[in-house]
Amino acid sequence: MKPKVLTRREFLKSSTSAAIAGALFLGSPEELFAQSEKKARVVLIRNKDVLDDLNNQRDEVLQEMLDEAVMALLGENDPIKAWKRIIAPDDKVGIKTNVWSYLATPRGLEKAIKRRVMDAGVSEGHIGIKDRGVLGDSRFRNATALINTRPLRTHHWSGVGSLIKNYIMFVRSPSDYHDDSCADLAKIWKLPIVSGKTRLNILVLLTPLFHGLGPHHYSPKYVWTYKGLLVGSDPVAVDSTGVRILLAKRRQFFGEERPLSPPPKHVFLADTRHHLGTADPEKIDLIRIGWKNDILI
Amino acid sequence: MEEARSDSAVLLPADVDGWHLSKKEQAYDRETLYEYIDGGAELYLSYQFKSVITRTYSRQGQPDIVLDLFDMGTSEDAFGVFSHSRETVDSTFGQGSQYTEGLLLFWKNNYYVSVLASPETAQSKKAVFELAKRIDESIPHEGPLPGIVALLPKQDLAEESIRYFRHYVWLNSHYYIADENILHIDKDTQAVLAKYGKKGKRHILLLVQYANIENAKLGFKDFAKHYLPELTEDAVVRIEDGTWIGCQLNKRLLIVVFNAPTRDEALKLMDAVSRGD
Repeated sequence: MKPKVLTRREFLKSSTSAAIAGALFLGSPEELFAQSEKKARVVLIRNKDVLDDLNNQRDEVLQEMLDEAVMALLGENDPIKAWKRIIAPDDKVGIKTNVWSYLATPRGLEKAIKRRVMDAGVSEGHIGIKDRGVLGDSRFRNATALINTRPLRTHHWSGVGSLIKNYIMFVRSPSDYHDDSCADLAKIWKLPIVSGKTRLNILVLLTPLFHGLGPHHYSPKYVWTYKGLLVGSDPVAVDSTGVRILLAKRRQFFGEERPLSPPPKHVFLADTRHHLGTADPEKIDLIRIGWKNDILI
Repeated sequence: MEEARSDSAVLLPADVDGWHLSKKEQAYDRETLYEYIDGGAELYLSYQFKSVITRTYSRQGQPDIVLDLFDMGTSEDAFGVFSHSRETVDSTFGQGSQYTEGLLLFWKNNYYVSVLASPETAQSKKAVFELAKRIDESIPHEGPLPGIVALLPKQDLAEESIRYFRHYVWLNSHYYIADENILHIDKDTQAVLAKYGKKGKRHILLLVQYANIENAKLGFKDFAKHYLPELTEDAVVRIEDGTWIGCQLNKRLLIVVFNAPTRDEALKLMDAVSRGD
């Protein structure tokens, strides 16, 4: 049977939509989300000192933030103990980053992750750090574990560029996934090269882009210093939380509702259609650590 | 990707305010645009995009200036792409422009132009403006706006909110309706969306002009079926959030008012379209 058309009015009819409002494109009826008893834990950590006056990252603060977040995620009180629960010494680890020129994964974060992967017992030769070209890199083709990290930003066609979308480089023809504003990006996560391998997702919100203009979808006017990281094992839960923060920022900045353009449908469908994780805020255990000023969520 | 060979190249200066061409000029067409703006190409391809020339100008100690000159095929399509992200009404350059901290966008005739220097400096801002001015001057003629834009009533119109498009995804981008193309908006339709009233409490007017009456009837029928099943000859329906939606079909033109605060406001705006106010 053809699925029912999901209209704005369907969303408005749901009594729960107010609670979920702002998540994804408008907010969706609770029953549309994947059913799961267990909440997905997401850690939001912020530190007002992570950037200097010129918005350069302070690597040592970034390392502390990553350590605290991973400890909170795993319920450990020692970062290396926590990382040893994520990564085994015999793992071959691919750290999937993002090199978009205006907002790339911070080098300091790459170094911090690599350091902890090595602390978990992995030799340097078994660690790859890359965005483009992962398919041609044997360290990624043979990886047993992946760590997925990139900055959060709005995106021309998929609504947001975030963790789910970051695996687009694991396919030979990214444009094959562009249909319907990238609705089915989560399918990539079922491909053998990545399926079941992702141990940790780190969405970087140091200076997120909350609105885009022009062919490069970039204007410094729409970047703000949020100074945060979102960390979790469920990429959908982390992305969904990131989307809610972006929407809150857009509401605050524009002074009216400004849904993401286009709606980040793929985050919603990663839950409801592909069952990759949960996008439902009611099923996300959000742990907030650190700086609370203008936290927006 | 190929070396630029388009006629558009004659419009572009070789240097500006101490910035010089630093990389080989590149050109992309409908087949290769993905190579340049992967993920962003769909916006341009959903209009009648023909080609883009991109240049990088450099000056020591200053940010690079990246210039993109899009030939959108027609002035209507150039306006469409420009309108997609317009935030202000400004006509300093071309037939409409906007500047935000290092990024200058404008359109003129069939061209859509982007000049980006980030981070912005006082010198780069001056050079960006000078470059835009020279390109503006070298495009000899202005072009017409999409005809459907003229059907928008002027009273209470937030002009910066006008969006012109031919792909339903862009409707959802600006005002989410449904996850399927229930209005049957495609390359053969002209659609325009605009906001009315005061910020924060705006209502929205959507006009869709179909290629023929049969298509218009189909768009109206499917929209009513999926979105306004309560619709009667009254043409106005109050929905779950307390706002009013008006909808009527005038030959090939579908008129829809969303988010109206009262029944009268919805009717008034639809009537204004019909009267050509």
